[in-house]
Amino acid sequence: MTVTGDPAHGTRQAAMPLGSERHWMLMAVRVTVVALLIAACIATPGFFSLANILSLLTTVSFMGCVAAGMTLITISGNIMSFSLGATAGAAAMVFIVAVNFGGIIAGLAAALAVAGLVNAAQGFAVGWVRANPIIVSIATLALIFGVAEIFAKHSSVYFRPGTGIEILRGKLGGVPLEFVAFLCVTAAGQFILYLTRFGRNLYMIGSSFRAAEAAGVKTWRTVTGAYVWAGLFTGLAGIMLAVRYDGANMDYGVGYDYDAIAAVLVGGTQIKGGQGSVLRTLAGTLIIAMVQAMLLLRGFRQEWQYLFTGLIVLAVIMLHTSGERR
Amino acid sequence: MPEVLSVERLGKSYTGVRALHDVSFSLEPGEIRGICGENGAGKSTFVKILMGIIQPDSGSIRVAGRVREIHGPRQAQELGLGIVAQELSLAPHLSILDNIWLGGADVPLFHRRQALRQRAQRALDALGVGDWDLQRPVGALTMGQRQIVEIARLLARDARVLILDEPTATLSDSEIERIHGVLRELRAQGRSVIYISHRLGEIFELCDTVTVLRNGEHVATRPVGEVTRERLIELMLGRRFEEMYPQIPAHPDAGDGLVFDRLTVPGMVHDFSAIAPRGKILCVAGQIGSGAAMVTRAAAGLVPDALGRLTLDARALRLGSVPHCVARNVFFISEDRAAEGLFPPLKVLDNLVATRLDAHAPLGVLSWRALRRIATHLAERVGVDRNRLGTAAVNLSGGNQQKLLFGRTLERTEPGVLLMNEPTRGIDVGARAEIYRLMRKLCDLGYALVMTSSDLEEVVGIADIVVTMYRGRTVARYERERIDMSTILADITHPAARAAA
Repeated sequence: MTVTGDPAHGTRQAAMPLGSERHWMLMAVRVTVVALLIAACIATPGFFSLANILSLLTTVSFMGCVAAGMTLITISGNIMSFSLGATAGAAAMVFIVAVNFGGIIAGLAAALAVAGLVNAAQGFAVGWVRANPIIVSIATLALIFGVAEIFAKHSSVYFRPGTGIEILRGKLGGVPLEFVAFLCVTAAGQFILYLTRFGRNLYMIGSSFRAAEAAGVKTWRTVTGAYVWAGLFTGLAGIMLAVRYDGANMDYGVGYDYDAIAAVLVGGTQIKGGQGSVLRTLAGTLIIAMVQAMLLLRGFRQEWQYLFTGLIVLAVIMLHTSGERR
Repeated sequence: MPEVLSVERLGKSYTGVRALHDVSFSLEPGEIRGICGENGAGKSTFVKILMGIIQPDSGSIRVAGRVREIHGPRQAQELGLGIVAQELSLAPHLSILDNIWLGGADVPLFHRRQALRQRAQRALDALGVGDWDLQRPVGALTMGQRQIVEIARLLARDARVLILDEPTATLSDSEIERIHGVLRELRAQGRSVIYISHRLGEIFELCDTVTVLRNGEHVATRPVGEVTRERLIELMLGRRFEEMYPQIPAHPDAGDGLVFDRLTVPGMVHDFSAIAPRGKILCVAGQIGSGAAMVTRAAAGLVPDALGRLTLDARALRLGSVPHCVARNVFFISEDRAAEGLFPPLKVLDNLVATRLDAHAPLGVLSWRALRRIATHLAERVGVDRNRLGTAAVNLSGGNQQKLLFGRTLERTEPGVLLMNEPTRGIDVGARAEIYRLMRKLCDLGYALVMTSSDLEEVVGIADIVVTMYRGRTVARYERERIDMSTILADITHPAARAAA
């Protein structure tokens, strides 16, 4: 439905009435859902207690760091990575082993390096070899678990006494350090996407790989870069898990990739790539974490959390694709 | 003779925007009717109403004299209306036979395959292609052959009115000839055709009558013998039309720009040598599969296995690396704008600055202020409304989208090279003339332009130098005064015959 304007000036206005109606409909649905969610939280006894808020902030931080990384991968048009949870678990274990061996700085470096490298390899396979990103991520997931099994034999690792790890459990102005780190990750992610050449190239590749290639974007390097950033953010989540729970095994990371995918989708980043932002994912993370915390307070078991997260993701996907088939 | 199809005072609005207003139209048996109009004139809305995809707000449709309401494609099919859409709707892995019956309304759940086969064969016979193997997968056919399968599908359903929406956009000349032959055959059988095309040459060559739509209104319906080409363009634009192709200035040769020395793409291009001087338009003419489009792709760095030597201003241009070409200001404009040119969901601004982020990103950090300024400037230079910088590119008309791609190549540190495949495909007359002017402006700035086109009229109208190609080899080279449509056509279809004559 293109409407011809004044052809002499070559300006044509494309009217998108259906599109804008849909836009308002989506907006209304979003506002309603968030309002309902907040009302439900208020009606949940203990939701706004200090203990719950603090616990909510740490949950948000773990999930949010992984989700910020997932956002970059999704915007690059490579859908999702199912190996980020395993990456977080592996990073947590590497962190503890390295801290025990050489102190906190060595631990941070080793954990981030491992997470970054594992993802760099994935990014290379996806960007250079053009392998299917889903398959690559599932293969990586299996590989990480396999390697961890060989080294750790399905046991947990713990900090040895006297590493000084307690320093990372502190608070900054009453806010858990994890949350501060998470805010930094969000800011960094947003900065990368909006203010760097790399970030803009990521949007171009995500919205059309072939067009990006024809425009001279260095595609494989950019895709690999997105994976590396995702690895670093996830590695940070792993480190925070190890610090918080004072130990680590591979099970610690389980579920974070799924929660992160839910947060990305609920935030409104497009699965097909090219559109979205880390700030959107921040909103998505808050929503998912609030739902989960509320369910927990109301006495639902973990399984119910999975069920509800699944339902939310389904609802969001249907909401966003309805009307696109016209 | 009664009309096979007529519509009266058809109207359709989308939330306040008038897409079609008070359009009346009637079609006789055995008539080929062209429909012309710029993008947004209402052509596709009209077709969608006829196919029952959308419902009109007002007006009525008569099929064979009876008033009908068309509620969906299936019902349109039952009434004898069929469409060959711009995007072909065939399943490439299925056979010709299966494709002919795919989605047919009268295929019973338990059908006799033999009967279907006979009717499909009759349809192919009627189109003069009775020797085709019905079991052949459609994916193995050329685009033109696929279109004939689509037409056969409509015949097998006994369509009385065939609607073709831009059927020739992706076809080579000989295939276009064949489709036109098929349509004339159908006319002789008393079937009617509605033929929508941007290519005015085809309208005059094929159609009996032509209907012009503008801004959703019916402007005129005339026998083609009674209008001239210029008059038709004026009817479409609603204003006087000066000249489609800009005057060619008497440029002094600004020196060799891009020199192709024995460029070879295994299996597609053999030893292509030519010079694209700065300030001129070199047109590589050839049918689809001749290798012409591959020459520009290879020069743009998009073909990894290209061989040979390319130099730009006497310095070698590395083959197979797009970033390297872009760094040398060599840009490619693809024939497939939607998939290989535009970033559809991104803003006009992002699309305009896509190739110049490096220049405005010290240490990789972007200066949005500088980017916005340059984008505004570029939008003005290519004639896109600067207030639309924030709009998603997908919402622009084809002509404006193409202007964005041209905008990317402007304002470089030094004049560059533009490699274009089918630069005006799917673009209406008004925007097309603007693009031609833009191309001339780039020549004035010292750019070297290389283009391919399957529209020979365009080749003759815009090129300074034409190199003709046939099956991967160059046939001949012509300069301005010696560029002639029939010679080019002969070169690109049967060069051997011409050489023998």
